[in-house]
Amino acid sequence: MRNLAPGIGFIIVVLAAIEAAARGGLVNAAVVPPPSAVAVQLAQILASGVFVMPLLQTLATLFAGYAAGCAAGIVLGILMGSFRAVYGLFEPLTELLRPIPKPALLPALILFLGLGSTMKITLVALAAFFPVLVSTVQGTRGVEGAMIDMARTFGYRPAQILWKIVLPAAAPYIAVGMRVSLGIALVVLVVAEMLAETGGLGGSLIAMQHQFMVRQTYGWLVIIAVIGFTLNALFVRVERRLTFWSVPS
Amino acid sequence: MAETDGRALGIDALSKTFGGKVPVEVFSGFSLDVRPGEFLSIVGPSGCGKSTLLQVVAGLIPATGGCVTLGGRDVTGAPAHMVYLFQQYSKSLLPWMTAEDNVIFAFNHRLRLGEREARARAREHLAMVGLADSGSVYPWQLSGGMQQRVAIARALSADPKVLLMDEPFSSVDALTRMELHKLISELWEQKRFTTILVTHDVDEAIFLSDRIVLLSRRPARIAELLETGLPRPRRVVETHEDPHFLALRHALLEGLLGA
Repeated sequence: MRNLAPGIGFIIVVLAAIEAAARGGLVNAAVVPPPSAVAVQLAQILASGVFVMPLLQTLATLFAGYAAGCAAGIVLGILMGSFRAVYGLFEPLTELLRPIPKPALLPALILFLGLGSTMKITLVALAAFFPVLVSTVQGTRGVEGAMIDMARTFGYRPAQILWKIVLPAAAPYIAVGMRVSLGIALVVLVVAEMLAETGGLGGSLIAMQHQFMVRQTYGWLVIIAVIGFTLNALFVRVERRLTFWSVPS
Repeated sequence: MAETDGRALGIDALSKTFGGKVPVEVFSGFSLDVRPGEFLSIVGPSGCGKSTLLQVVAGLIPATGGCVTLGGRDVTGAPAHMVYLFQQYSKSLLPWMTAEDNVIFAFNHRLRLGEREARARAREHLAMVGLADSGSVYPWQLSGGMQQRVAIARALSADPKVLLMDEPFSSVDALTRMELHKLISELWEQKRFTTILVTHDVDEAIFLSDRIVLLSRRPARIAELLETGLPRPRRVVETHEDPHFLALRHALLEGLLGA
């Protein structure tokens, strides 16, 4: 087990420094409130239960878009990684679309799909899709030829080889793409919620800011941070269990 | 198996040319009859095309011309009862499966045994290679020699009539290699599956084989075909000291080193 004490101690020192700076008048406390005051607001948000609806909205939207984006990325990635013709057909298009910062698609998506959850799910799916696609293609192409030949000599058919060899062998790479995607998905979702101002944690965050409720704004920020941290930690645990045999470099 | 033409495996006028800007003719018009139940080795200088020959015979890569017959029938794709043992055991074993599950992978898509029977069959074959206690271990937790033993158990569990081996002992240390030679010769003496071994190790070929084919440089053709005639069971120490062994070794090395 890694020793967490120095890192946690440092966080406490940083918080104490901000506290002192805000209370001592070194920074404008209206803009940078003391952490203790933010903690009070955070406790109120949690105790009143107002966070439950936005949190559930955000999580539901996140998972719907993330699942769709990952599924599409894995399916197309395995096809592109397995068949040269499919790769040749899709590679230029995906390389063209991949570098677009996904929040830049928001105006267009809002035009087509409005401000509701369909737009948000679509954006999250697009953001999750590309990292998963790239890592799946890489993982599929990296499958050892000897493994596939082995299965062929035992009489496995191509579809069985895809399912029993290629997919598990590429799984560690796919998982890396999915972990990257999860972080990006949360980022673009919060951005979309802030822009659309139709619910979710990002919606609550921007609503507080519009009302100049600085301490509450920070309170919601803490909630978003904890969600991001928790999702990543859960993912890493699942990833380690599912791809226990491999640590891709 | 019905050997309708008296040969376990027939290679008739087989050709392989790799295309590309400069086509490479690996072999052409290559013919060889493999007798039922014999242990045949193919020895040749590196790059002579012996591995390619084996891969064509196994149906892993298509021939440019000619044909391979197994028990009198044309080989297309990967025939049942023909099993291939790879050089890169560590890459051909599936790292997400235990040793036992790796063995089961070789037969149960065809046999469709229940869970308990399949495990029993896998354990039985692991025991044959001296790994009775390693069934629940993952391949990457085993040494190189033990991994190749798992691969051998996996190959035998598929009940091969023909076993093709592509330099299966070339990436283990010398002592482990001799242990594996002993293991393979004992298993072969029990089961007598027709075997083709491709190797560049002359001692290995003589120790294990009934007949040895010496290939020329590319395009590969048969430079020599020797009967070893050494008594069985073969013994790791004594067989290597047999005067006939040494004579064969002399002849093969001279042939290989371009006398």
